[in-house]
Amino acid sequence: MEQILKATQLSKYFYQKKALDKVDINIEKGKIYGILGPNGGGKSTFLKIAAGLLKSSQGEITIDNEKPGEYTKSIVSYLPEINHLYKWMKVKDALNFFKDLYADFNIERAKESLKFMELEEEEKITSLSKGMMGRLKLTLVLSRKAKLYLLDEPLNGIDPISREKIITSILDSYSEKASILICSHLIYYIEKLLDYVFFLSEGRIILSGNAEDLRNKRGMSIDKLFQEVF
Amino acid sequence: MMTLLKYEIYRRWRWLVLRYAALIIIGAILLNRVSSPAYQYEFIGESIGKFALTSLVIFIIIIVEGINMLKEDLFEECGYLTFTIPKKGRTILASKLVLLLLQLILWTVITIGFGSIFFSKLPYHEIVQIETQINFYFFPTVLFLLTAFFNFVLMIHFSLTLTKTLLVNKKYSGLLSIGIFFFLVYLIEKVYYGPFLNQIKHISIEVGSRSNIDLLSGGYTAVFLNIILIAIFFTATSYLLEKKINI
Amino acid sequence: MEFNNNIPIYLQIIDSIKQDIVVGKLKAGQKMPSVRESAGILKVNPNTIQRVYQELDREKITYIKRGMGTYVTEEEKIISSLKEEISQKIILDFVEGMNKLGFSNKESISTLKEYLSKEEEIWNKY
Repeated sequence: MEQILKATQLSKYFYQKKALDKVDINIEKGKIYGILGPNGGGKSTFLKIAAGLLKSSQGEITIDNEKPGEYTKSIVSYLPEINHLYKWMKVKDALNFFKDLYADFNIERAKESLKFMELEEEEKITSLSKGMMGRLKLTLVLSRKAKLYLLDEPLNGIDPISREKIITSILDSYSEKASILICSHLIYYIEKLLDYVFFLSEGRIILSGNAEDLRNKRGMSIDKLFQEVF
Repeated sequence: MMTLLKYEIYRRWRWLVLRYAALIIIGAILLNRVSSPAYQYEFIGESIGKFALTSLVIFIIIIVEGINMLKEDLFEECGYLTFTIPKKGRTILASKLVLLLLQLILWTVITIGFGSIFFSKLPYHEIVQIETQINFYFFPTVLFLLTAFFNFVLMIHFSLTLTKTLLVNKKYSGLLSIGIFFFLVYLIEKVYYGPFLNQIKHISIEVGSRSNIDLLSGGYTAVFLNIILIAIFFTATSYLLEKKINI
Repeated sequence: MEFNNNIPIYLQIIDSIKQDIVVGKLKAGQKMPSVRESAGILKVNPNTIQRVYQELDREKITYIKRGMGTYVTEEEKIISSLKEEISQKIILDFVEGMNKLGFSNKESISTLKEYLSKEEEIWNKY
């Protein structure tokens, strides 16, 4: 199976704190991965390094055999936990921005997705509720035909109805040529989507494996396993 | 870069139109006051003063906005968007600087335009006095000031960017940026302009060029030095933005 | 479909499909939804569905028509053996459950008989 992301002994230090400590992660094409762990465990840090926002302190990471940079940003679609869209924008501005800057952005799909997510194009970004913002960010990120999707806590602060829509959208983006990496501490809702999981805590991988194998071997859900481990 | 520039303009187009319209309108009103048939010379000083003040305020707004264009991408949440689009660091920086440059040029044209009309309304003897002083130094001085302020903004950009590569928290970043900036200013005064200037002084005297080496009055040499500084800081800041920052 | 996340998902889906075939919800020779469609309906990972379909194909419960998709088998033999398989499991669960409660096999049979005749009575009343 082809690898889209390869991290070897990846470490990130902030002053005294080890956010990531010699992490090895391989992501294959056509699979959905979960990086699960408590807050502050290093999940977001890993995603940010893969997205090109942070530089690793030690170790290596390559995406499609390239170091994070202009090329990788063009094939990686990153959903941050925070609200990163420009505050001066309206929804339609955000769509046009993505269309102008990402060659793989499908604006037709995005507009359809907006309808599905019940978002209006003329709305100001600043007037969106948390749930609406989450749905908008996800629409933008998933309307790109990227090789690697990095979703940081896509379900945080999302109401149950939005949650279902988001899960459906994630499944719709699935393709054998792309990979999806989801970070979450709300495992119950996403565990059925996952092929493979990594448990990350204090910057280290404590456990990893195929989701179904883990259910089989441990006789419990990934959610329960998570609670046991942490 | 054009795409990014388009958005830099689009997001603040109303403010841009407002500030230059204000400058032109106020200039026109003041000009009108000193152009009426019943014109008294006593208004001229006041009118020039008011126009100069307006112009200065607009200038400060342009400079501060120029600084903030990069500052917000470095220190606020929107940086997550700016630094994950597939554009090189130099492209992102260039789009902001081009807008700054365009504004500086526009501001200069408007200010000098109105300024020269105002000066032509001065009493004859005052005009002659000033003209002789201005002629020789005027163009290089304008260029020098433009490049100096452009470099000023760019040095602040560099200081902010360097801060962002060294610190991740927002806590001491203001302090560090200011520290870096003043250190650079000191360096430049002591090391760059000093010895360099003396070197070039010798060369230009030998070659017999007309360039004036007194910084304050302008001079093409100083302009050239500024342009080199701009090149240095642009390259350095672009490099940091591309390879070293931690958002 | 409600899943129990404590057991492998693909096994639960396979059981569910087998059940659907036996009760006739999925007819013999009927076309199965594509992997993507099933994944979307059930809200599970497409690779899980892929595994399900592979397993069903291996057990000859479904067959693949090249370029057209996956179809439920038309062979009566297989469907009836499926019915057999599922009913055996239900019976096994019953026996094990009753034994756990302390009923012997004889007691289990009589309890069952009692229950079934009571059921019939209630039905006959209508």
